[in-house]
Amino acid sequence: MSAPVAPVATPSRPASPRHPRSRGIRRGEAGAGWLFVSPVILILGTFLLVPVLMALWVSFSDWSGRGSPLSGSVGFVGLDNYAAITTGGGLAERDFGTALRNNAWYVVLVVPLQTVLSLFLAVLVSRRILRGRGFFRTAFYFPSVTSSVAITVLWLFLFSFAGPVNQIMSAIGVAAPNWFSDPRGIVHVVLGAIGVANGPDALTGAGFLGVSWWDWLAGPSVAMSAFVLMAVFTTSGTFMLLFIAALQNIGVELTEAGMMDGASGWQRFWHITLPQLRPTLFTVITLGLIGCWQVFDQIYTGTQGGPAKTTVTPAYLSYTSAFQNQDWGVGAAIAFILFLIIIAFTVLQRWVLRDRPVSKRRIRAYQPRAAASAAPSPKEVDA
Amino acid sequence: MTAALNTALNTAEVQTTAPAPPPRRRRRLTARSLTGQAVLYGMLSALALVYIYPFLVQVATSFKTEPDAAADPVSLLPATFSMAAYERLFLHSDFPLWFANSTIVTICVTVGRVFFVSLAGYALARLRFRGRGVVFALVVAVMAVPTVVLLIPKFLVLNQLGLYNSYAGMILPLLVDAAGVFIMKNFFESIPDSVEEQARIDGAGTFRVFWSIVLPMARPALITIVILSFQGSWNELSHFIVSTQSPELTTLTKGVASLASGQLSQGTQYPLKLAAAAIMTIPVAVLFFIFQRKIMNTSEGAVKG
Amino acid sequence: MKRHTARTLLAAGALAVASSLLLTGCGQGFTGSGSDPSASAGDLTSSDKPLTIMIGSSGDAETKAVQDAVAAWSAKSGVSASVVAATDLSQQLSQGFAAGSPPDLFYLSTDQLAGFAGNGSLKAYGDQLANKDDFYPSLVSNFTYDNTFFCAPKDFSTLQLIINENLWTQAGLTDADTPTTWDQLAAVAAKLTTGTTKGLVFGGEYARLGAFMAQAGGRLVSEDGKTAEANSDANVAALTYVQKHLQDGTFAYASDVGAGWGGEAFGKQLGAMTIEGNWITGALGDYPDVKAKVVELPAGSAGKGTLQFTNCWGMAADSPNQKAALDLVEYLTSADQQLAFSKAFGPMPSVQSAAETWKSDNPSLVAFLNGADYAQGVPTNKGAADVVKDFNAQLESLKTGDPKKILDSVQSNLEAVVG
Repeated sequence: MSAPVAPVATPSRPASPRHPRSRGIRRGEAGAGWLFVSPVILILGTFLLVPVLMALWVSFSDWSGRGSPLSGSVGFVGLDNYAAITTGGGLAERDFGTALRNNAWYVVLVVPLQTVLSLFLAVLVSRRILRGRGFFRTAFYFPSVTSSVAITVLWLFLFSFAGPVNQIMSAIGVAAPNWFSDPRGIVHVVLGAIGVANGPDALTGAGFLGVSWWDWLAGPSVAMSAFVLMAVFTTSGTFMLLFIAALQNIGVELTEAGMMDGASGWQRFWHITLPQLRPTLFTVITLGLIGCWQVFDQIYTGTQGGPAKTTVTPAYLSYTSAFQNQDWGVGAAIAFILFLIIIAFTVLQRWVLRDRPVSKRRIRAYQPRAAASAAPSPKEVDA
Repeated sequence: MTAALNTALNTAEVQTTAPAPPPRRRRRLTARSLTGQAVLYGMLSALALVYIYPFLVQVATSFKTEPDAAADPVSLLPATFSMAAYERLFLHSDFPLWFANSTIVTICVTVGRVFFVSLAGYALARLRFRGRGVVFALVVAVMAVPTVVLLIPKFLVLNQLGLYNSYAGMILPLLVDAAGVFIMKNFFESIPDSVEEQARIDGAGTFRVFWSIVLPMARPALITIVILSFQGSWNELSHFIVSTQSPELTTLTKGVASLASGQLSQGTQYPLKLAAAAIMTIPVAVLFFIFQRKIMNTSEGAVKG
Repeated sequence: MKRHTARTLLAAGALAVASSLLLTGCGQGFTGSGSDPSASAGDLTSSDKPLTIMIGSSGDAETKAVQDAVAAWSAKSGVSASVVAATDLSQQLSQGFAAGSPPDLFYLSTDQLAGFAGNGSLKAYGDQLANKDDFYPSLVSNFTYDNTFFCAPKDFSTLQLIINENLWTQAGLTDADTPTTWDQLAAVAAKLTTGTTKGLVFGGEYARLGAFMAQAGGRLVSEDGKTAEANSDANVAALTYVQKHLQDGTFAYASDVGAGWGGEAFGKQLGAMTIEGNWITGALGDYPDVKAKVVELPAGSAGKGTLQFTNCWGMAADSPNQKAALDLVEYLTSADQQLAFSKAFGPMPSVQSAAETWKSDNPSLVAFLNGADYAQGVPTNKGAADVVKDFNAQLESLKTGDPKKILDSVQSNLEAVVG
């Protein structure tokens, strides 16, 4: 492989850049191009694009599970399926509300916990004075390569009534709950401990989607909390790697400048390192959100909706409505509402973490007070 | 989710070129820095223990008898070493069949994915053809669709095509992965095209250039694809739930999941379930340890302490 | 970039439309076979195709027994048949129906009858059975939907009280202390409760607490299936009774003592008594040290009451060989074959002609069969299974909950389903 001999001014290039190269050494390229991407188009189209459209149709139809959903006997029912789960007033609506509540608390707990933990691990593992870095990285990342089924089985054992976790907890004197069989919401448990047993009438009277406000605020159940811990356990390693890569890319000059200016370790981290991690933070949080709203494998393997329906998630509800209750339209409707929720969260999160222009007040703080001041200009600091 | 996640991981990898290490400072061994080190190692060790202990107890319990597992779940040493769980698993259940099915599917999917995804990635990166932008946009759009939406309709489509309950139905939909196309395209765009130009000038056809020249250069990215495909298809569950129903086509994930809900017996047979989960994890763990460096992708030398 | 976006959408749309048309074309061809619950009973299909039978097995014993029976029939009739043990029967059935390739015969529970009969997946062959009149009438009504007798009950079980004889004598109790009223049951449970064992342990679900409701004279849905009666005073009394003893520690749910079900708690001696059905005999094989005795459940204010559970042999409307399937069902539900099944894995024959023989073969289990005289079936209306699932979810917190409130919510859910 000798050094390229091609001259600087490539003579075979036609004048217009958009003109397809039908002559010279690039003949047949267009055909080859289409040929190369055809398997991808075919398979992605058939097994990803078309199913989505078919599901959309089923969610607007009354297909009952027998024969083809595209056949003539299947009728269009408009928004009936969506109405059944959002305003129907019956069990379907309550199940959907419960599923949303369970998953919302799961997201609220898992995303911050896994982000903070993985960042913490990344910082620890990236310390320059550390030996055995590889061992620690491997230990923290290993849970992420296992399948969710295997980890769920392991977790069912660890958190069983007479399992290791409860043994350890009783050994140190903490009351051990019957994890996967306990349907009490942890917020309710905490409130109960300080004496608030039942909610105020304002909260228990009214509700949303068939679930009273008091129940919305119940927090994840103890069983769901076990799943929260499992999620943090399995995903912190992957995100840790992302943060490690990002931390390595941060130049040391700024940190050193901060050190020279007398900033403490915490200040350096908060004001210098963290803002530069913003893109990675954004990636980690987005991926976390998208993943958390789709919890299915763990529920299918572990609790199948759980003690008292407290581990039902919208994804699992969509599956059971369709495959167990023959309610295919409702199942598809749930899936699409979930899709919209994920998009909404991603967009919201993008907006919250966007780069905002530096405020004038901030800029003024950094204007040189005296000619001899050597403070860096604001543009360099806010990366 | 895993697909998008791993894409992010790999774009991070690709971008990571560790900056030149700072000049090594001589550190004075102050008491402060010693306690600092002690605290650091202490915390890390405690955390590492929390992460490793579950797997150790899993393997240990799989070698315990059931009453022993119930009586003393915490200990890492079985009171009486027993192979009963493994015996039951391999001799009296369909476990070997599940393993075989998973292997077949994973190998086919990995080989297929490597081939199709690199073809498409190369075409999108290097070849000029009308509609290239559209195809790429399609790939990116598809990556955004959450898997939950596809659960029901994939079943319907497989049904319509007559692929339901067959190996083809299990393998075909997994043969192409949008994230993989994304990774390969990025990779091909990052390497200079001088060698290809040279080959073309020498008269090689497009496929020839791809196969003999570009693909060998793509080894690092291909290894990434192999790892991701293997992991992805070995650990896949929801797709196998909706695409098969007969027991002969059950894969490890589906089988172990049914085991967890109490198939082979009534009651909680933890040694058996944990043994199944452990064996299921071995292939991906082996792959992980072999390609660890590649996966972690931090050059040890750059930031050695 | 605008042009690219427009082109992207156009291309995606074209691709979608093309693929949809293609799929409609090469579909499975089951167009127009819409829902037809009272399917014409007369015409059964017939062909040379082998039969597939799908079962939801409780263990190796059951699978083997069914396989042997089917093989014997195959040899006799000349039609080949194979038995498949499902890992998740309801899911595989629904997938099979949707795919147009269901098994010919399958276990069908009372929960699923309404759903599958309603969407036309089942063939109603009940009236064509040669031994139609031999089945217990209550079982026949369990499998009647829309006034059509759909499928043959394959066996049934009732719930009764199982006592651990060793713990019983250790607590100083004798045969005379066998409880026949609720108060006696509570007293005996209190005597049997020790540090590690609870007096009475059972699963925390309607399928067990319903026995107490039956004893108090209540039921979820009226016998004709047309009225919801969940929040009757009888039911509230039953739940209050159970709640009282859950609170004083003499009763317990299986999950609260760390067991998967009542039988496991009983076998591991976490409970001295349990409420279970015929299937307990098979499960107790795993716990050879435990000596069990079956007695009838105590009577409540309305007399004796218990629940009965049954499955039937469902036949697919899409089956190509229904005549042979019918023949097989008659063979499998004959008195002799059912007695053989009972010996293998426990449940009671669904035909009355086998009753006496069964009683003499299983003198220790007579209590179960006696239950057939006063047992209630579970509700079979479409959607009732979901309501029961929700009821079970609420029952899990019965200890700290309000029985009236729980039953009121079940009532409103049932009214939506039953009306």
